[in-house]
Amino acid sequence: MEKNYHVCTGCGLLCDDIEVESEKNIVNKVYTACRVGVAHMKEARRAEADFRVDNKPVDEATAIREAASILKNARNPLIFGLGTSTNETQKIAIELAKKTNATLDDTSSFCLGPLVEALIQDKLKTCTLDDIRNKADVIIYWGTDPSDSHPRQLSKHTYFPRGSEKQRGWEEERTAIAIDVRKSHTAKICGNYFFQIPPKGDAEFIDALIAGLSGKLPKTSYNYPPKKLLELANILKGAKFGVIFVGRGLIYSLENLEPLFKLMKILNEKSNFHLIPMVGNCNTMGFNKNLFAETGYVNSVKFENGTVKHGPEYSVVESLKAKTVDAALVIGSDPLLILPGSIAKNMLEIPVISVDHCETLTSKHSKVYINTAISGVEAGGSAIRMDGVKVSFEPVIETNHPSEEVVLKKIMEAL
Amino acid sequence: MDFGSFLSAPEIQVKVITYRDIFQDKAMFEDRFGEEYRNLSAVIKLDPADLKQLNVKKGETVILKNSFGKVVVKAEESGYETPHRGIAYMPKSPWSNILVSDETGGTGVPKFKDISVTVTSAKGEKVTELMR
Repeated sequence: MEKNYHVCTGCGLLCDDIEVESEKNIVNKVYTACRVGVAHMKEARRAEADFRVDNKPVDEATAIREAASILKNARNPLIFGLGTSTNETQKIAIELAKKTNATLDDTSSFCLGPLVEALIQDKLKTCTLDDIRNKADVIIYWGTDPSDSHPRQLSKHTYFPRGSEKQRGWEEERTAIAIDVRKSHTAKICGNYFFQIPPKGDAEFIDALIAGLSGKLPKTSYNYPPKKLLELANILKGAKFGVIFVGRGLIYSLENLEPLFKLMKILNEKSNFHLIPMVGNCNTMGFNKNLFAETGYVNSVKFENGTVKHGPEYSVVESLKAKTVDAALVIGSDPLLILPGSIAKNMLEIPVISVDHCETLTSKHSKVYINTAISGVEAGGSAIRMDGVKVSFEPVIETNHPSEEVVLKKIMEAL
Repeated sequence: MDFGSFLSAPEIQVKVITYRDIFQDKAMFEDRFGEEYRNLSAVIKLDPADLKQLNVKKGETVILKNSFGKVVVKAEESGYETPHRGIAYMPKSPWSNILVSDETGGTGVPKFKDISVTVTSAKGEKVTELMR
């Protein structure tokens, strides 16, 4: 019997081997997915009303009209979110931003954006998760804990699977290494290959590792045992196909990416190393790529009468902090939940349009709320996996809720 | 001996490191306004010696305070084998975000994993409710 596999859009892994049992357009059982994936695909909490203006239920046309009116009247609206939206939705959002002279940003501006930009610009060597499954012998998790953030990554792609060139798997042919400030669940799996460093100690650790790779004595101000660092350097030197998965723990600890560039350079002189950012949302990578294709920037842009400006001042954090935006269209994100409270509170002073499949802190404080289909569960499209591979998906169930794509098109028309 | 232990309500300074937790993420997907999400989010994990100095038992609430905000969360033991006095852990959530600095140096990147707070016993005060 031919099986019908679905794609889980619960995180940046976009697992494509999911089976579900559904009845009357309700997902009852989800097989293969992780704990988060199951919750995502069975996501149930809907808002009481599908469309709201000023917290009162309205019809779709009224909500769309009010959303368009907010954007039309704004001098500098912020369009934010889109990390869980399809490529097709993201492209419309970029057009909408152009049309409304908006500031456009996503979470990557305060997450892994600089790293993704460097990868898109071919400044760092990368590979696919399939390459890793088939070939990787040394896997480093640096400032990231996939056991909690990307739960199936170790079993499906990196450490545990039997790849075409790695049939003996983790027992004999793969080494997983964790470098982190705390003993995460992933660090526990890595056992003796867990290297615990103090907070903000990453840049020094990289320097010491580079010294170790160059045959010098590795030293740190926090007296990391040189013997252990040399042991790590030797493992990396011997790698035939290595990969570093970089998380926010590392990025937040570095002033800039230079130490990482230096490390990758020397690693590729001594052996063969690739880098993949641990992108969280299912299509943050798509947003970065789609915006880059259109503007040459991955995030934090401001459109103005046919021109595009870019810089941290156009990031969601700085534009809210400086109160330079006077309205916001938030698509599939909850800035009131994910941003520092002292910055997020400024959103309460401007009219917000929330387009989301569930009730969020932001939707509860929005002037307009439009409840949409869940991308990947109730609406089809495509997204870009954390390693840059495009994944297409069909809806798992049908719904009466409009897709984000349809909503944005309607707002565009109403403008 | 720390001076703090002579005060009637001892207080300690800790650096908070935020992290992801799959159980908490799952609870958020299901209902971010629900009890399970709150129970798994509004938590600080401390070194047992820090808990002792605070005169707080695990499961009791503590006040976390700095110049950016104040929040009441439940105190737990971290469970890490290696002592880590002065360093505490919180799952990333609106509760930890209340304490994140708005000083970004114009970079657009808040210091989500570099939070300093004062911890004191909340003396039975309830966990801070999410803004609704």
